[in-house]
This record gives sequence, C-alpha cells and structure tokens, in this order.
Amino acid sequence: MVATLLTIMIILLLFGFPMMIPLIIAPLIIVIFFYPNFSGEIIIQQMVQGISSYVLLAVPLFIFAADIMATGKTSNRLLDFVGAFIRHLRGGYAITTAAACTLFGAISGSTQATVVAIGRPMRQRMLASGYKDSSAIALIINASDVALLIPPSIGMIIYALAAPQVSVGELFLAGIGPGLLVFFFFALYSYIYAKIKNIPLAEKASWSERWGVIKKAIFPLGFPLIIIGGIYSGIFSPTEAAGVSVLYALILEVLIFRTIKVADIPKVALSTGLVTAAVFILVAGGQAFSWVISFARIPNMVAEAVMGGDPTAIQVLIIVSIFFFIGCMFVDPIVVILILTPIFYPIAIQAGIDPIHLGIIITFQAALGSATPPFGVDIFTASAVFNKSYLDVIRGTPPYIIMLVCISVLLIMFEEISLFYRYFL
Amino acid sequence: MKILRKLDRVIMKIEEAILSYAIILIALMVTGNVLSRYFTGRSWAFAAEISEFAVIIATFLGISYAARKGRHISMSAFFDMAPAKTRKIMAIIIPAITAISLFLLAYYAYVYTISSFERGRTTTALLIPVYLFHLFIPIGFTLGGLQFLRNMWINIKEKDVFLATDKKDYL
Amino acid sequence: ACGGGSTESSTDEGGSKSENSEEIYNWNFVTEEMEGQVQFEYAREFADLLAEKSDGRINMEIYEFGGLGSEVDQVEQMQDGIVEFAIMSPGFTGTMVTEGQLFALQFLFTDDMALNQEILNTSEALNVHLSKKYEEHNIKPLAYFTEGAMQWTSNKPLQSPEDFQNFKMRTQESPLIMESYKAYGADPTAMSWSELYTSLDRNIVDGQENPIFFIEDASFNEVQDYMTISNHNIYVAMLTVNPNFYDSLPDDIKKMIDETVEEMRPIAYDLQDKLNREMLESIRENETHSTEIIELSEAERDAFRQLALPVREYFINEVVGEDGKELLDMLQKEIEEVEE
Ligand code: NA
Ligand code: NA
Repeated sequence: MVATLLTIMIILLLFGFPMMIPLIIAPLIIVIFFYPNFSGEIIIQQMVQGISSYVLLAVPLFIFAADIMATGKTSNRLLDFVGAFIRHLRGGYAITTAAACTLFGAISGSTQATVVAIGRPMRQRMLASGYKDSSAIALIINASDVALLIPPSIGMIIYALAAPQVSVGELFLAGIGPGLLVFFFFALYSYIYAKIKNIPLAEKASWSERWGVIKKAIFPLGFPLIIIGGIYSGIFSPTEAAGVSVLYALILEVLIFRTIKVADIPKVALSTGLVTAAVFILVAGGQAFSWVISFARIPNMVAEAVMGGDPTAIQVLIIVSIFFFIGCMFVDPIVVILILTPIFYPIAIQAGIDPIHLGIIITFQAALGSATPPFGVDIFTASAVFNKSYLDVIRGTPPYIIMLVCISVLLIMFEEISLFYRYFL
Repeated sequence: MKILRKLDRVIMKIEEAILSYAIILIALMVTGNVLSRYFTGRSWAFAAEISEFAVIIATFLGISYAARKGRHISMSAFFDMAPAKTRKIMAIIIPAITAISLFLLAYYAYVYTISSFERGRTTTALLIPVYLFHLFIPIGFTLGGLQFLRNMWINIKEKDVFLATDKKDYL
Repeated sequence: ACGGGSTESSTDEGGSKSENSEEIYNWNFVTEEMEGQVQFEYAREFADLLAEKSDGRINMEIYEFGGLGSEVDQVEQMQDGIVEFAIMSPGFTGTMVTEGQLFALQFLFTDDMALNQEILNTSEALNVHLSKKYEEHNIKPLAYFTEGAMQWTSNKPLQSPEDFQNFKMRTQESPLIMESYKAYGADPTAMSWSELYTSLDRNIVDGQENPIFFIEDASFNEVQDYMTISNHNIYVAMLTVNPNFYDSLPDDIKKMIDETVEEMRPIAYDLQDKLNREMLESIRENETHSTEIIELSEAERDAFRQLALPVREYFINEVVGEDGKELLDMLQKEIEEVEE
C-alpha cells in the first residue's frame, strides 16, 4: 500500500501535474481500492480539517502584509537603507542584497515574495556594478531562503501545525540565530568573491544621504519589533501578530506614505488571495495524505525501523535532515513539512531532541532543499521571475549549497544556535 | 459563444471578488478581535468561525482562478526540459486528467456535503449549519475542473503551448 | 456512506452468525487523548480485556489524538464506520446532540466521585434517554465515565466570583461553557488546547479548566501560578461504538463487548483516581515551576454554585427546550436520590 501511494504520487509529480493532484488523488485511490468499505468523503473531510486552524490564518495575513509593503515600495526603502551603510564595502552590493533579503525576510514569510521584492531591484544594481548574472541570481535565490528562517515564517507555522504543543512564537525566536548565521556566511563569501573577481568599489554614501534613508526606513524597520515584541509581551498570539502587521502595513502605506489608495486594497488582497488559494489547497491535500498515512500506521512502522537501531539524537537529526532535504527538492516545502513531520516528530522526541530545535532543522532543510538543483522549487520560481533559462539559474548556486550544507552540519551539532534565545527569557 | 464569453467574465469577476474579500474579511476578523480584546477586554467569539468560512471559500473557489492564471504549484522540471512537441502533448493530457480528478473530487465533496447536512452540526458561536460552509467545496471542484478543461482546449486549438488560458508558456 | 452505512471495515467476512467460529476481528479504536492519559489508557485496557476474552481473535488498533484529525473528525469517522470504537467528550458533539451539553453544567453532580461514577453507571436519564439521542445520530454510547473533577488554573488567585472580573478564561468551544463563565463575570475565550500552553505563558488568556491529570500532562502548571481545587464539575467522556457495526456482530462477540464494558467501569474509576492523585502530588512537588494550590471552602464554593444555578435556565431555554428539560429534571432527581 505504501508503495502504491508513493508510486502514484511520484509519477504524477514528475509529469508536472499541479501538485494538488498527486497529493489528493493518491490517498483517494488508496481509500477506494484498499478500504472499499470507506467512502471517499473522508478525503474531503480531512481537506477541510487541514485548513481549519486558527494558527494557519497567520499565513494569508503575513502574505497580505508583505504584499501591501511590496506594492507600496517598502522593499525599496529597506534596500536604500541597507545600501547606504554597506554598499561601499568590498562586495558591497552583494552584501547589501543578502542583508536586504534578511531584513525583508523579517516582514515576509515566504521565499517567493522576497525574490520578487528584493531580488528584482537588486539584480539590476548588481549587474550594473559588474557582477555576473548567474552569481547575482544564485545569491538572490539563496539569500531569499533566509526569509523562511527569520520570523515570520510560513514554514514554521506549518511545522507548529503538524507538531502539537509547539509554540509558533518560540519557533520564531529560535529562527533568528540560524538566519543571521546564514547571512554572515553569505556576506563573508561575497567579500571574498568580490576581492578575487576584483569587483569595483561603490561610492560611499554621505551622512546626509544616510540620514535621508533612515527617515524613510524607520517605520518599516519597526515592523519586526511589533511582531516579536507583541508576541513576547503577551499582547497577541502569532496569528494576531499577523493581523496587526496587516494593520501596520496599511497605516504605513495608506496613511503615512500614501503610496496605496484605499480603493487599491482589494487589488492587493486579490494577489494575496491567489497565493493563499494555491498554498491552501496543498495544505488541505497534505492533511488528506497525512490521514491515510496515520490510518495505515506508517508512523509507527517508521518509528520501529528507526528506533530499532537505538540511534543517538545526532543520528536521528541526520536521518530527519536527509528526508526533508530530499523531499523539498521535489515537492513544495509546505507539503513536505505537513506530511513528514507527523512521522518523524515522535521519533525525534523519543530520541530526546528539543521540539523547537527540530522545527528549526526541518525549516532549514526545507529552505536548502528547495534551492538545490536539479528539482528545487525556488529555481523554477527564479526562472519565471527573471525570465532566465533553467541552466542560467543554477550555474552559480554550488558555492551557496556548500555553505548551507556546512551550516546545517553546525546546526545539527550545536542546538545552541537555535536555542540561545532561552538564555534571554 | 458571445454569451459564454460574457458568462466566463462574470465568473472570473466573482472569483476575484471572493478571493480578495475573503482575505480582507480574515484581516478584519483577526485584527478586530485583538483590538476588541485589548481595548474593551472582550473577545469576538465569532471571529474564528467567520475566518474559517473565508478560508474554505477562498481555497476551494480559488482552484479555478489559480488554474485560469496558471498559478497552481507544480514540479515542472521535466515539463520545462522537454522538447516542444512533448510539451504540447503534456499540456493537453495534464489538464485533461486534472479535470477528471477534480470532477471526481466534486462528487465526493457533494456526498460529504449531504452527510454534513444530515448530521445537522452547527458552528458554536453563530450556530450556522456547517453544511453551508461545505456547500462551496463541490462548487469549487466543479469550477476548477471546468477551467482545466478550458486549459486543455486552448492547447488543442492554438499552436503555442499554454500553461493556462491566461498564461502562455514562458520558455 | 451518508451518516454511516458501512460496517466492519477491516473484518474478514464480518457479520456471520456462526458462533464459536475462529473468525479474526480487526477493529479500530480512536481516542481524544495521548498515551498516559485517561482515555488512551482506558482504550488500551479495553482492548487487552477483549483480546483475552476472545483468545486473541479480537485485535484493536488504538489511535492517539492527532493522526486522524480533530475531535469532530473522529466522531464523523466513527459514524461512517471508518473506526468502530471511539471515546468522545459530549462537548465536541454539543451542536449536534445539544442535550449532551448538560455535562457542562457546573455543580450538577455530587462532591463524591465514587457516587458520581455510580450515577453515570446507572442513570436512566443518561443510559437510556440521552443515549437514544446519540443513537439518532448513529452514535451508540456503551458507557459514561468520568476522567476526574475539573479544577481551575490561573495567573492570579481565584477564590471568589469577584476574582473572575475581567478574567480571560479559556474554554472549549461550547456556548454553554462560555455562558457559565460569563455568569461568573469572566471573559471566556474559546481556544484549541494545542495553543493553550503558549497562550497561558504569554498571558493571552489568564486561566483554564481541566482535570488534574490533564493539567500536569500538558504542563499547564508550568505556566500558571495558581491551581484552585474547585471541583466545579466532573469531566465526563463516553465510550461509543458504531451502531450498525455493533448490530451486525454475532451474539457471542456482542456479549464479550458488553461484559468488557461492565468490567471496565471500576477500572476506569481507579484509573482516573490514581492518575489524578499522582499528578496532584507531582504538581505539588514541582519546585522549578511552583504552583500555589488553593482549596476552596464549602462557603466559597457556594458563592460559585449560586451563580452557576441560573445557567441551567439558559440551558433549557436557549439550548435544549422541553425535551431536554425532562432529561435534566430526571437526572437531577436521580442525583438527589443517590445523595440521600
Ligand atoms: Na520570514
Ligand atoms: Na502547535
């Protein structure tokens, strides 16, 4: 039965069907043929269950807030702000890109939004200052993945949904360390790269220019403060934080900057709605898939197989990492997290792994897998956004993949990288 | 034909309105609930139910709109790398099978809605019968199936490869 | 299967009438709790007893909460025969079988848990009349049992109804429970328990109610400063079976199930009693996260009781109507009789 499920899933997936089809049809076929007494209704019931969660409401809201800010050119304010302080350094434009992706990641929950909002303008600036297109695109793809680690993060929300009793708020905090680590690695690489390739230095910003961009960026910079601060002072839950960030974004763009008219809001909401629909049908299908797996007792079988060898916590983390990494190369990270978490979560807990740390490892592998050739979904996103061929997009990625693999080894070995926040609580 | 085209436009406008206002409604409910609790000390018991309704309607009625715009997530590595002729064949077969699958799901969703109706469960705060929420699922799958049939048809009719009726292959 | 036609899902050739056959039965049993909690341990014990009685012919797969969806999904799956047995809290079917919400009425049962269990075992109001309401919805209750008395945990001391003023109380999603806390002056907020720990920690809600074993198991005591031994209600759960499935079983198997249900009654009582005692000690002895335990005096409990009584009017007028009034009256009479 497992074989049937996976075969149908993989065949439909590789043929390029919309991902919802393998996800929903594979379990439906299992129900029809292996449990003839059941009605296929169960698939529908679980799809509804999959999207009926208060926690999940944070996803469209964070996307909405990011869409409002992207429409209102907030991303450009952040770019100018970062650039004014960093661009004159060796590798300045590359470091600016990495930093801006990290900053915008603190507003947006999704990689795709970051590629569009930061990647588009920064690619132009990098090309103009002498970078090769392939290295600019590779940096943009991988730095945008930081958005998944820096709060707010859709990946973490989905993980908390699949792992009961894990708090989204704590996951958010735990992502900051690894997110910054990735930024430092990328910045260091950019510096060395620029030195070797002899990329010319950009002109240093004057203090009056800096003062100007600070003034323009000060409100958008308050954004992460509101999200993290609001959650930790106990004023609101992560879902409510997402609601408040929509309100904040609207106040900024409609009232203060006046870059969006009230009449334009439904149009922005439509673009959010479109992304939400595409994502939520996968979340719904993921739950149906998960139900069949649970009902067939597959998690128990995997647990017996894995725990039979009495593995150490590190070994379990390595197994988990490999499964999520490979899964995310083929399938959207949301789906992978939804389906694999219920299988591996009990095993990891039994092996003594901290559930928050596990969530960070999983989110990290999701980011890494989806940026890795040949199948990572980010590559196709970038190919569509930049209108470049597949090969052009992947040419520059190997150094980043190597760095990310190194970081994931560090993460597996030192849980303090994600759990350091506990010293401050 | 003209009537059909007009009907199509009307449906598209409705889909757009639903997606857009579902998001705005969720934002209003969640934000309103926080503000109400913060300033008056009272929560909105109905906020979660209305948001849930908005999510269901956006997700299932969004199937056809995302299909129209070619925005469903897929693993397109092999599709993109395939030669033009193969791509053309795939661009006909994939939407055809997808449409059949969605019609099948529409049937099961219809059966589920009937079950919901017979069970007679209501929501807790507003006491709305839950089958009214579920009613949109078979409708969504049916409209989605129809849109994928159109995605198939445009590839039969036209010479170029289309990812959706509103989206030409970007290669 | 609209509302449950299909019967023994994974039984080979189920429903044959041959007694003493060597037929093997594989059934599914879903609970709303995890390993180590009352419902799951009940199910495990139930399965063991049945396996023993049937010489291993009856095998039950027990599902923890989570894998098969929400509590409401589980109910529907039992109604559809996807799982044969389920333990469910009446609260989660409260908008379908409204009469079941009577278990949310506070200070309804006695203060003696052994007596309460006796009422649950023998009450005609519950075992005949309420069960009939469930059977109309394709749910056959086999037994009602308690998981223990409900207590409050909070971030400030709860000793009198005044302490509930502007108090953000987390409840299950039941209008009647919410109404009960409004009667105390609190601001009830419905929330899934999966979000509860963090919400208590961050003061998004100020308190919650649960039996002690659940409070300890979910670590709510870690994020709350006070636990009030209020015994304001008892947590009741039902063992249920899909009626079509049950009716299709041969008589000897049905008899085995019925016997096991009876044998489980004292076991279930001891199970919750032991778990609740042990966990109370564990909360008391937890020094890293100390929780002050407040025991209410009878006079203090009476202040709450006075405010809880009018909620019964709300229950009758707004929730169930005449039919339900008869049921409640009958149950109250039975409770009074046992108390004497
Ligand atoms: Na982010
Ligand atoms: Na959770």
